[in-house]
Amino acid sequence: MKELAGRLTALDPDAGAAVRVIAYFDRLAESRAGVEALVRGAAVLSGVPARLVDPDRLVRVRVEADGTRRDTELPPDPAWPSAALTPDGAPALWLERADARPSVVDAVILERAAGAARLVLDRTRGRATLDDPALVETLLDATAAEPARLHAARRLGLDTAASFRAVAVPGGPPRVLPADVRHAVPAGRAGVGPAAPVTGLPRSWAAARTALRFTAEGTAQDPGPRVVHADELGGLALLADLVVPGAEPPPDVRAVESAAADAPWLLATLHAVTATASLRAAAAEANVHHSTLQDRLAHAEHLLGWPMRTPQGRLRLHLALTMRRLTRS
Amino acid sequence: MTSQPPPFDPELAAALELIKDMIQPGLSMEDVEAARKGPGIELLSQLDLTVGGAFEVEDRTVPGPEGSPEISLLICRPTSPAPDRPRPVVYHVHGGGMVLGDKRVGVDVILDWARELDMAVVSVEYRLAPEHPHPAPVEDVYAGLLWTAEHAGELGADPERIVIAGASAGGGLTAALALLLRDRRGPRPIGQLLMCPMLDDRNDTPSSHQMAGVGVWDRTANETGWTALLGERRGGPDVSPYAAPARAEDLSGLPPAFLDVGSAETFRDEVVAYASRIWQAGGVAELHVWPGGFHGFDGFAPQAALSKAARAAHLDWLRRLLAE
Repeated sequence: MKELAGRLTALDPDAGAAVRVIAYFDRLAESRAGVEALVRGAAVLSGVPARLVDPDRLVRVRVEADGTRRDTELPPDPAWPSAALTPDGAPALWLERADARPSVVDAVILERAAGAARLVLDRTRGRATLDDPALVETLLDATAAEPARLHAARRLGLDTAASFRAVAVPGGPPRVLPADVRHAVPAGRAGVGPAAPVTGLPRSWAAARTALRFTAEGTAQDPGPRVVHADELGGLALLADLVVPGAEPPPDVRAVESAAADAPWLLATLHAVTATASLRAAAAEANVHHSTLQDRLAHAEHLLGWPMRTPQGRLRLHLALTMRRLTRS
Repeated sequence: MTSQPPPFDPELAAALELIKDMIQPGLSMEDVEAARKGPGIELLSQLDLTVGGAFEVEDRTVPGPEGSPEISLLICRPTSPAPDRPRPVVYHVHGGGMVLGDKRVGVDVILDWARELDMAVVSVEYRLAPEHPHPAPVEDVYAGLLWTAEHAGELGADPERIVIAGASAGGGLTAALALLLRDRRGPRPIGQLLMCPMLDDRNDTPSSHQMAGVGVWDRTANETGWTALLGERRGGPDVSPYAAPARAEDLSGLPPAFLDVGSAETFRDEVVAYASRIWQAGGVAELHVWPGGFHGFDGFAPQAALSKAARAAHLDWLRRLLAE
């Protein structure tokens, strides 16, 4: 059954075809199908490739008659049957029929698919387009003129009166999230910038990238917070400018590295000491007995050469572990 | 226990609108004759069996079960140059609820695999119920497999690399064939590919109740199919596992299985249970449950995204199986 539409026509000539087309798209709309399913419906029912192009919302979907998605950069042929998404709009949905003769079934397919697609795009445009990397880049670029950034924000469907946070993740594109949605931060390492209006997002982005340098994998060999909010760094953020990634690490960091090479438990244990309010809490965090922790700290003090159980020593330790994360490139 | 059925996948729900006049959820014994002549089952038949000249097609009459009429096999051999090693062969059993269909039904899917993986195809025409109740269908299927294994050489095929496959009733008969081959120590297929297979005559799982009156092949149709095959024995205490594989006590020692089924179909629970029981018996099985799929969705709506995923999964399993 390669050509459902063709078979249907053969089995049920013309009379019922338009009715079936309407039922098909009504059913897709009822079950809130996405844009690709609608374009696929147009292609399958017409028996030729169909494409939807909406430059404003950066939507570009092309599906062939066998249902395969195959996008193209080539412009549509003006001779193809087409429909607009809005009554006075430019053509946005095409059936790639070369020998286009006026056909009732084609007209019904275009009308129904375009109507359903408009509803879907209106419903989803904010979510659908926030993934556009070029617009997000403009939005976060401090060197771009403010009108250009505002324009990008509007194209992305962002409310220019609301606040947002830029989020940096390792090796991934920048993200922009509503300011109050803290839990929406992605899994894995992330630096979260301070809340800002859309015009302040370049600063939020710079702070987010700095915050990302303070994150860790949260493992035994790389203990520390996976998500760091720039808001919460305070004066520690200044360290980021002093420690250059990939450069020769400061002496205390080198001491920690060489001690960690001798004692596999060292990094997780020392992180527990700096991340908790008491040695009892640190022992619980490191999952060892209190006396074991005391023994380990004595050993660590010997390896590192400074006390860990004085306020000053703990601060020095905290700085050493923090700088260790900052030295990574 | 009846409850709201899972929703159909959006594209599949729309496709059902297109075929609803030809494919109704239910089927009664009185409908069988009309359904055999109607357009529904034709939707699933391949028109050009040569697939544009890629296969040489032959109808071959071969011996049936002892004391029974001969049976007819559809044999499709690739026309491409023969490879160094004899080709694997797919032995296909068509669907149709034990009461409908012929050896061409569903072959388009098998020919797609064969073209992709350079295999020969044999599809068996078995006698249909209710005119020919159990064991006629499964014994015909068995006889066709024996012939295929013995004559593989003639087909340029490797008798050591036979994959048995079927959808719906054909999936059930394929599962039964695997049991028969194990128990009679017949040729050993390297895998069994069971697509939405019809396995359990008791027709009493939660999914069989849940889907009453909706989708494709509901509990009424299922009762019709099984009653045609088994008469009054359907659902009773003495049904052979070679008729309804879900009745088998022992599912060990079977060839590796691929099973799939839609979440919105009568067979969902019996297929999931069958896969679980293969694992419990220490066997090898891969199971896919396609969310929102109705019975046979990938045949009736092959262009839908979910259908493409299902077909890719079949091909992927075969590719891994044949690579061993």
